[in-house]
Amino acid sequence: MSARTSVIRSTEEDTDRTRLSAVWLIYLREMRDQLRDRRTLFTIAVLPIMLYPLVGMLLMQIAQFSQENPTSVCLIGSEHLEGAPPLIEGSQLAASLIDAPESIQLRTYRYDELSSDSGWRSRAEGWVQAGAFDVVAVIPPNLAGEKSAEASAAADSTTDGNQSTPSSASGSNDAESVEQPRIEMLYNVGSDQSVLARERLVGVLSAWRGEWIKQRLAHVGIDPDSLLPFEWSDSNVAPQQTREAAFWSKLLPFIMLVWAMTGAFYPAIDLVAGEKERGTLETLLCSPALRSEIVWGKLAAVATFSMSTALLNAGSMLITSSLVFKNLNIAGASSSLGAPPLAPMLWLLVALIPLSILFSALALAVAAMARSSKEGQYYLMPLMMVTLPLVMLPMLPGTTLNFGTSLIPVTGMFLLVRSLVEGQYASAVFFVPMVLTVTGSCLWLAARWARRQFEDESVLFGGGEQWELGMWVRHLWRDRQTAATPAQAYACGAIILVCLFFARLTVSEMPTTFAGIAKLVMMPQTLIVFPALIMAVMLTTSTRQSLRIRMPHWTTFPMGVLLAITLHPSYMMLSKFINHLYPVSEQAAEAMRPFAEQIAAAPWSAVLLLMALLPAVCEELAFRGFIFGGLVRENGKLRAVVLTALMFGISHGVLQQSIAASMMGLILGWITLKTGSVLPGILIHFTNNALSVSLGRIAESNWHAASLFLQETEMGPVYQPFWTLIGMGVAATCLLYFGTMNPVVDESDSEPVEQGHRDLIDPTAALASA
Amino acid sequence: MIHVQHLSKTYQDLQRGRFVAVDGVSFSVRAGEIFGLLGPNGAGKTTVLRILSTILEPSGGIATVAGFDVVRDAADVRRNIGFVSNNTAIYDRMTAWEMVQYFGRLHGMKSDLLRQRLETLFDQLRMNEFRDVPGAKMSTGMKQKVSIARAMVHDPPVLVFDEATLGLDVLVARNLLSVIRSLREAGKCLIFSTHIMSEVERLCDRIAIMYRGKILDTGTLDELRGRHREDDFEELFFGLLSQHEQERRNGDLDGSVMADPGGWSVAATAPGETSA
Repeated sequence: MSARTSVIRSTEEDTDRTRLSAVWLIYLREMRDQLRDRRTLFTIAVLPIMLYPLVGMLLMQIAQFSQENPTSVCLIGSEHLEGAPPLIEGSQLAASLIDAPESIQLRTYRYDELSSDSGWRSRAEGWVQAGAFDVVAVIPPNLAGEKSAEASAAADSTTDGNQSTPSSASGSNDAESVEQPRIEMLYNVGSDQSVLARERLVGVLSAWRGEWIKQRLAHVGIDPDSLLPFEWSDSNVAPQQTREAAFWSKLLPFIMLVWAMTGAFYPAIDLVAGEKERGTLETLLCSPALRSEIVWGKLAAVATFSMSTALLNAGSMLITSSLVFKNLNIAGASSSLGAPPLAPMLWLLVALIPLSILFSALALAVAAMARSSKEGQYYLMPLMMVTLPLVMLPMLPGTTLNFGTSLIPVTGMFLLVRSLVEGQYASAVFFVPMVLTVTGSCLWLAARWARRQFEDESVLFGGGEQWELGMWVRHLWRDRQTAATPAQAYACGAIILVCLFFARLTVSEMPTTFAGIAKLVMMPQTLIVFPALIMAVMLTTSTRQSLRIRMPHWTTFPMGVLLAITLHPSYMMLSKFINHLYPVSEQAAEAMRPFAEQIAAAPWSAVLLLMALLPAVCEELAFRGFIFGGLVRENGKLRAVVLTALMFGISHGVLQQSIAASMMGLILGWITLKTGSVLPGILIHFTNNALSVSLGRIAESNWHAASLFLQETEMGPVYQPFWTLIGMGVAATCLLYFGTMNPVVDESDSEPVEQGHRDLIDPTAALASA
Repeated sequence: MIHVQHLSKTYQDLQRGRFVAVDGVSFSVRAGEIFGLLGPNGAGKTTVLRILSTILEPSGGIATVAGFDVVRDAADVRRNIGFVSNNTAIYDRMTAWEMVQYFGRLHGMKSDLLRQRLETLFDQLRMNEFRDVPGAKMSTGMKQKVSIARAMVHDPPVLVFDEATLGLDVLVARNLLSVIRSLREAGKCLIFSTHIMSEVERLCDRIAIMYRGKILDTGTLDELRGRHREDDFEELFFGLLSQHEQERRNGDLDGSVMADPGGWSVAATAPGETSA
């Protein structure tokens, strides 16, 4: 080794920890690389700076056009206006009917001028279609004739007294039999100008009709105002800031987040998939940069682009729109659509930073799977589809910041920032912890995923071969392993959830007999357990292993039962709390009533079998057995616990139950991980369900100790508070006990690739066994 | 400098299922020596070299570079190895100078030392005329030079050339070989993988013939010739391959992959390995 090499080496820290200097170096390179890319620069900087002013200019022109450009209207049958209140003054519409008479250019024809020509109507239609006139209005002959005459007759009759009443009555009867005169307007919905002209003309005609009605009423001696019992007036009490921000606080975060996503995607593709394509990733991986340093450097670069894109877009839009609105004053004072307030929009930065990083981490992790930039775009589309609803949700009317929405990723952050922008600090501050926790955990998970992708050989170098159905089926059979692969686990979960979704659609009403309820409960359980069983039998070499049916240490069984019993009060409390947060609708509660009644009336053993044993066995075998066994592999402990809990939760179908079940799923998953077996989970699940369906019976039984634990309320029996507390303590102790166990990892839990590479002296021996 | 013992690597893939790309390979390379890894596409050469460069982790066996284990002391191995891959791996939007500088910095080199080193390297490899040319505008020869400079920037005692002459024209390839020779003079330990026999004949001190993940034989050219009583290297090579095929068929060592007559255009290519 040369002297120089040793100098180089001595300057380096001899650790495997992430060095900020290396991250910074990689970050700088990626930034410089992207900034030299014309396409990236265009999307990120040039497009937003140019786009909004251009759109603004266009908008302004269109607005000016619609305001100033006169529309041309043709009136046919001007002679029929005689006897009616004045519609036309000189060559224009009467000034009393329209604010700006010059905005309508009027051309009138007499009816008899045209009607001599039999094809006049189709000609008029042609005028509108060709745009010679924006609107053609045809005034019928009977418009002012009989009616006005009659009205004046009626007016006369009031002065004459009662004598003429019969005649006027008969006259009005006659008038009723005559069809109402109708002004026909020909317009073209395909032309904005025509639609606008029609709107203006309708305004004029309504005002004209109003005048006419007033005249008639005056004729018969009625004060027109006396016909209106009341008027109303609006006064907006929202604070100035809220009022100004109302529209923009919805739109701007949306625009910003969509751009943050777009801004993350393209650099992410280029920085990972593009680098794979060029082969530079390989050289980077054998440089002293650690995988974590590479990921953090790239993540920082992608997040920077995501944020800049979002900021430039939002900023450009804000500035353009405030100018446009100032110039045009389109909306007027009463509307919520005012010029955007600039200062409160700074709150958007609070949301932008974490969400940009989140999108960037997700985009990086997904892009890592692609082998080329083109493939990267295919992969990022689904990611966009998944994330977009979370950004759209807050835009829906009626979505406000509350405990429930604050727990939804992205949406919660969006709503929080909206409250801040609108100046509702007091109500926002309460939800800050929830939003921060959710956003923080999402960030952590996404970053972890991205990092794992970069440590996974099969992600970085895998794939590349042609996919064929036959080959794939053969591969599934030939390469069966003792437990499911992560992909098979994902597939199993997806199959179960999709089947459940369609099965639920087939259930129209709640059955009223116990047999009906039994069917209703058994159907989803069958759908849960069968995919897992079939896949375990067909796709793995050991059904027992893949379902994780193993004998754990015997103490886990009594401990499990104890845990389930002592945790049950807390579980009930949690369910109640969730029901309080997301109340069940009256209707849904009503629909569930026969269910509860039937369960209460049925024999206890049957209820236990149906409601406790069956779900415990089916759900545990599927979620904590097959799926868990697949997901836990390749160092996926956290993934297995979290995802099985989520799938388990979602399989319950009802939001309130799903949340409680997900929580329970976390505990069950953790215990499954620690014990390495599905059996303790089944026992805990069974005990928990059995207690839930038996509380009523226990309370009613003549077991005198029951009152120690339970108290009767209108809502049914609930646990005594002190027992809930003691239970928590005991449950925590049980969990501690499980916590001391070492996670059981057997051969099927880890890839043979990772397994014992150090202790293999003769690799051929290992290959022979594999 | 390099010790490889019973090294193996298995991949999982759709077509072949669990596939052994490297199967119990052992060899060692001394400083000041050019070691040639010769074999057809898909023989497992790239996989071996990627394991040595810590890009892949072995499934079994042990490999050390400059005394450091490729798994346990990956960071130390990276400091002592330079990897030149078969695809020239150049950033399109960076100049030659920037690219080499970047990797020097990743190695934690101080800027004055790095500057010196860059000047020397650019002189040595005659790269000064395209110092500021961005990667996208470089010719293949330029790219290959940048690649070599990048691998040598931290002056590692071990250099790995993975099919480095692939796609180069005769002149550039010749230059590359002379660079490699001069590196040997400087006492470097060099591994050179190729499927071109003449390069191995002219360049390498010792040769390992690799086929289907196994090393069929290893030694100096003369040793091999003597052992197999065959002066023509090409004949020797094909003889070894077909002998192996014969044994394989008789012993049915691996029934899943059908033998290809001649064994040259073998389908077996490791995932991610690009065949020219």
